Amino acid sequence: MTDTHVRPVPVPDALSAPFWQAAARHELTLAQCAKCGEVTLPPDVTCPHCHTTEPDFAFVPVPGTGRVRTWTVIRRSFLAGFENPFVLVDVELDGHSDLRIVARLLDGADVPLTIGARVAVEFEDIAPGVAVPAFRLEHGE
Amino acid sequence: MSGVFKARNQVALVGFAHSKATRKPDRPLGVTALETARAAIADAGLLPGQIDGFVSSPLLPSTGDHAVEDGISTVTSNWLARHLGLDPAYVVGFQGIGQITGSLTLAVNAIASGAADYVLFHRALHLPPGKYNDNAMASASGGMQWMAPMGFFGAMPAIALAYNEYCQRYGAKREAMATLVSEARKNGSRIPWSAWHGKPLTVEEYMAEDMIIEPMCRFDADMPVEGVACFVLTSAERAKDLPHRPVYVSGYASGYPTKNRAMLHWTLDDMMEAGKGLSARLWGSSGLTASEIDLPQLYDGFSPFVYIWLETLGLCKPGEAHQMILAGGIDSDKPGTLPVMSGGGAIGNGRMHGVPQMLECYLQLSGRKGEWQREGLTTALACHSTPHFGGAVVYTNDPS
Repeated sequence: MTDTHVRPVPVPDALSAPFWQAAARHELTLAQCAKCGEVTLPPDVTCPHCHTTEPDFAFVPVPGTGRVRTWTVIRRSFLAGFENPFVLVDVELDGHSDLRIVARLLDGADVPLTIGARVAVEFEDIAPGVAVPAFRLEHGE
Repeated sequence: MSGVFKARNQVALVGFAHSKATRKPDRPLGVTALETARAAIADAGLLPGQIDGFVSSPLLPSTGDHAVEDGISTVTSNWLARHLGLDPAYVVGFQGIGQITGSLTLAVNAIASGAADYVLFHRALHLPPGKYNDNAMASASGGMQWMAPMGFFGAMPAIALAYNEYCQRYGAKREAMATLVSEARKNGSRIPWSAWHGKPLTVEEYMAEDMIIEPMCRFDADMPVEGVACFVLTSAERAKDLPHRPVYVSGYASGYPTKNRAMLHWTLDDMMEAGKGLSARLWGSSGLTASEIDLPQLYDGFSPFVYIWLETLGLCKPGEAHQMILAGGIDSDKPGTLPVMSGGGAIGNGRMHGVPQMLECYLQLSGRKGEWQREGLTTALACHSTPHFGGAVVYTNDPS
């Protein structure tokens, strides 16, 4: 049966708008606190590192490479709009051991995976002007 | 807090009632809650008018798009007190994850402080019509924007990620989880109110089940049910005059996430790390250590939580929970084991949150477990949710 539902699109807000604008350009950014310089994702109303109430986050581009910490194959999604099965990877970004992003792996559901596999960010264009991060295994793996 | 809990063994569970946990509720949740509350009060040898405190946590834990209506899809303490026709002195609700342990601490503190003499503690869980967790959202705002657009939605994928990290790191096999789930279902099948009463699950049946969110299958998640549990608490002093053997609260502790992450991004390391702090507070509060707990009852809303609790509480070494389980180390029918699922848990009874763990501690320590009574027990522990959002409570039947 064809699923006629669409994937959910992110609704940008005052905190997140720069992230999604960059994502639309296929650029992965992290929220950098103006006070302490540390980065985080998602942006919070305060800085999770120095706890300032005025983090004035700047969204700084990062290469979007990292390693797979873990993964799961979704054979039955609770969300509409996704074609099952697909793989979700939990990625630790290079240079940010505390920072993890969960997104789809675009190499297919049957691709062999191991902890530590190298991945790089890619973007899925899911609606006009809307792109969301995903990952793909780096070549040569 | 530093040192032992000042109200250690000063507050006791003195009665309970549990409705059927059912997939086919035949009356509004509020009506079941009222009947269960009256039964619990009577079980404690009290009259409704003596209850002057009401404590609960009313969350409906579904991710589907369901309306929340007091008395129908949830039952708050306010609703329950009003429909019992009472005007109590103390009515509070706990908001957060780890509802059973979180709200129980409010009840204990209320009695210890004198804010209430007799507290009715309840949890009412509704089974909404339609799909429990499916969601056809076309847009995701707030915290959800960092998950759903990327295909990350619901608690099960989050737990599957952490569980797979455990499996990859420690070489855990599906057979170990099959043993755990089968143990939970065996014990639940012996409980008359359980949604799985008379329906055990064999290891072979588990192994034959297709995975839906790898490495998890549907048996790894507790089945949503409608049901109500009520407990009555009072002071140790007042408990002396009541019909059942009191079960005292020795101490409690909660855990908290320390990392900023997307809403349901619960990593294995985050849970284990938070568990260290929780355990230290729990042993400090109760004056006991892991090896002194006769009957731990571990939370299993998703089966991998049992591995995490076993290890983070120090009931086995990190990375060895799966081996302990596979070797029969939690089998309630074998002597010399640590039967952490003897109450059936959530997997074996249905989604009553941390109630089955708390109830098993109460029944075993008060000597009310009937055919399945275990002998020689003095201490027990019930936990709920994860170590980084939930909590744990230590009980004893020997306050000396």
